[in-house]
Amino acid sequence: MRAFQTYERRRRSAGAAFVAPALAVLALILAYPILDSIWLALQRVTLKAGQVERTWVGAENFHRLFNDETALRAIFNTAYFSIAEVVLVVGIGLGVALLLNNAMGRSGFFRVVLVIPWAIAPVANAVLWKWILNANYGVLNGVLTSLGLIEHNQVWLGTPTMALNVLLLVDVWKSIPFVALLMLAGLQQVPKVLYRAAYMDGAGSFQTFVHITLPSIKTAIAIAVVLQTIWSLRVFDLIFVLTRGGPADATVLLNFLAYRVTFNFLDLGYGAAIANLVFAATFILAIIYIWLLKPRRRVAAS
Amino acid sequence: MPQVELRNISKSFGSVTVCHDVNLIIEDRAFVTLLGPSGCGKTTTLNMLAGLEDPSAGDILMDGQRVNERSPVDRDVAMVFQNYALYPHMTVAENIGFTLRMRHMGRGEIRRRVEEVARSLELGPLLDRLPAQLSGGQQQRVAIGRALVREPRVFLFDEPFSNLDASLRIRMRAEVKELHQRLGVTSIFVTHDQEEAMSISDQIAVMSKGRIEQFGTPEEVYARPATRTVAAFIGNPQIDLASGRVEHGADGLICRVGEAELALPAGTEAVAGQAVEVGVRSEHVQLSDTGAAARVRLVQPVGPATHVTLDWAGGTLTATLPGIARLAAGSATAFAIAPENLLVFDPDSGKRIGGRTDA
Amino acid sequence: MSFAARRTGLATRLGVLLGLGVFLVWSLAPVVWLVLSSFLTQRALIAQPPDLAPASFTLQNFVAVMQSAASLGHGMLNSFIVASFSTALALALGAPAAYALARLSLPRANVISFMILATQMLPGIAIAIPLFIVITRLGLIDNVWTLGLVYLSFNLPIVIWILRGFFLGIPQGLERAAAVDGAGPVRTFRYIILPISIPPLAAAAVFAFIEAWNEFFFALILTRKSAETVPLVVAQFAGQYQTVFGQMMAAALISVAPVILLAIIFKDQIVRGFADGMMKG
Repeated sequence: MRAFQTYERRRRSAGAAFVAPALAVLALILAYPILDSIWLALQRVTLKAGQVERTWVGAENFHRLFNDETALRAIFNTAYFSIAEVVLVVGIGLGVALLLNNAMGRSGFFRVVLVIPWAIAPVANAVLWKWILNANYGVLNGVLTSLGLIEHNQVWLGTPTMALNVLLLVDVWKSIPFVALLMLAGLQQVPKVLYRAAYMDGAGSFQTFVHITLPSIKTAIAIAVVLQTIWSLRVFDLIFVLTRGGPADATVLLNFLAYRVTFNFLDLGYGAAIANLVFAATFILAIIYIWLLKPRRRVAAS
Repeated sequence: MPQVELRNISKSFGSVTVCHDVNLIIEDRAFVTLLGPSGCGKTTTLNMLAGLEDPSAGDILMDGQRVNERSPVDRDVAMVFQNYALYPHMTVAENIGFTLRMRHMGRGEIRRRVEEVARSLELGPLLDRLPAQLSGGQQQRVAIGRALVREPRVFLFDEPFSNLDASLRIRMRAEVKELHQRLGVTSIFVTHDQEEAMSISDQIAVMSKGRIEQFGTPEEVYARPATRTVAAFIGNPQIDLASGRVEHGADGLICRVGEAELALPAGTEAVAGQAVEVGVRSEHVQLSDTGAAARVRLVQPVGPATHVTLDWAGGTLTATLPGIARLAAGSATAFAIAPENLLVFDPDSGKRIGGRTDA
Repeated sequence: MSFAARRTGLATRLGVLLGLGVFLVWSLAPVVWLVLSSFLTQRALIAQPPDLAPASFTLQNFVAVMQSAASLGHGMLNSFIVASFSTALALALGAPAAYALARLSLPRANVISFMILATQMLPGIAIAIPLFIVITRLGLIDNVWTLGLVYLSFNLPIVIWILRGFFLGIPQGLERAAAVDGAGPVRTFRYIILPISIPPLAAAAVFAFIEAWNEFFFALILTRKSAETVPLVVAQFAGQYQTVFGQMMAAALISVAPVILLAIIFKDQIVRGFADGMMKG
């Protein structure tokens, strides 16, 4: 019996051996920390002489979270930042994808242009913009002044509302390429015949866009919206380098707040509670994303 | 002793059963074809023989030994796949030699055997090419070479020629048949092309909806189909069937189809009043002045013969006449069928109840 | 009729050209300014408008950065070790796992795959605190190998997801032919699947390497001086020398040059491997 194993059975047992190491590693560095993070959020955690002391406090950290003015502002800021970023990135990304799907945009050069902002490290990107946004010598002030759009130099990161919006702009700049690539992948799955048929039926380019292009890529758009929301929730490096949350906590997003509470204030339990909030939001979005992928699979299979 | 035997083999995927209780005995050195429309379970049956799929029930025997639990390589079978399945990153020589390498054969010995096989298939000059650099026919030969080099006990072919164009398909068919005559290795071939099956096989198993409808020589399945399904699937032009009712005629039983009367063959297991279906091969339809009335609908000369489509009380009927027949579409005619050439089927079970019992 | 059609055609064409132009300037201007700034003297940079005369160009920024920030070279080396180690491990663990999930008829393979995909999207903070506690307790903080292992938390899912998409598309016949030829699942993977998967393996490797090279958050909390990676060095440098603009840009440019080169060379594989992969289940 042992010596002879059929093809199907051999593959199944080999398959188990093939995934086991990866799953073990993921359990160790992902599953365990996620579970412990939830556990930590229900405890008061203090560091004494390098030793971690945990006391069970139940929902206290979460109770505190919803009464903490900084945290509530962070929630509001995060919501504003994510929604604005998704609208801008997906809107502009779709535009870029349409341009690149055009015969004139097919050249490989444009893909290089897309891939560069994506590959730049978020930290290097932040440092670059620190210089561009410099209040005295920054090139943004220079360009806008010479175009006559502003009268005198702006302190871009100086006022609360302006700082958050400028951070938004910088992150939008970095995020567009990948979303454009996602949309382009969606656009290239639209059968060419549809466009030809629409042309034969006398549809103009706007009508073609509304009746052919948009319906064909609405799943791609939905996927881009969900993924971009997830990515917006992760923004950290930019805030760390450009504002450290200031001025007046105007650029403190939830992710950054969790970091600050945990690693600067060493309040690990409360930090974990905030982190759990980010995790829960991401988790729900991830489930939506997977749900969006499913019907496409069924279509592709048939 | 039979070389390969399937005993009560069934295969289900979830609630879908693709093979029902398949029984088949394949003699040593035979060339057997599993023939049927797509989805009839023939490829699944072949995969179960190869050990690539596990039967849900039943036994597979080779040389009298149960081999259900054995992996493909332990069954000592070689297989030629539908889309060749050549390894795209390996040269022709590496493709052919892969199986020997998997058996830890020495490099020198591998090279010797690969070259020998390549020579017999005229692949010698192509040994260092990649599959992508070969034509469809050449790729097909490499796939056969990969099977040959093993010197296996059984060859399995899964629709190997379906991607080739018509003329190449006919040439490869001849090559495979010659190969079988030369080597005498038991071969099991799957196809949906009845002409291919007829021309290449010692025996044909006609499959439909997961069951073997008939297992016999090409002559048997053609001239003495066991069921209406087999009769309809085998033969080109397709057999024509008509519904009628059995009556007593002057010289025994006849079948009445509208105004027309067709004499039933001797020994037909039917009684007067019974509903039957009758069928006839086009070459057995003779145009005559007497007989069943018909009207010429279409005349299609194909060279050595002419196919004439007739309208008659039973529907349409094709007659194949030798040479070029000069007939006008729309003209009235009549036809006759020798009783022994008529095939009679039970309309409910589809089983044949009358017609030839000899070859 | 035909005149109208030609006119809209021309208008559309001009619109597309204009759009592409705006897109080019928008995407490239900051990058061009990064490169230019790193080659200009401080005097030229603070002039209004910046002085782009040939005499203003210098290599001094790079020289100064390498001298004043010896840790930049150290950081580059650490980043290289961390990224290579993490990428190699992610491929070694991820390729067999992806193959099993795509092809080896494992029970619940799709559920497992989607769970792995979902974990890839987690914000670092969701796992950072327990990891920090455990790693501190084990005394493994400020260690490049620890960091490389932690990076598997996002690299392993990426690699599995990219490769799984490719493996799903391999024709069944190849594996069956290999089985009939006498190769079991392990040898089929080794001799057939891996050799034909070199382009997606390269895409996955480049992707994982870039992600690891650029990572900042885990590096910030899990390293101190000896294992600090290049994003940390650049962030610190920019904090310390934030008025020496040319040197700040030179440091940033040096830190991103290797991965930008990689991204440009492998752009098509990245686009196909990831953007397409995220659209398909």
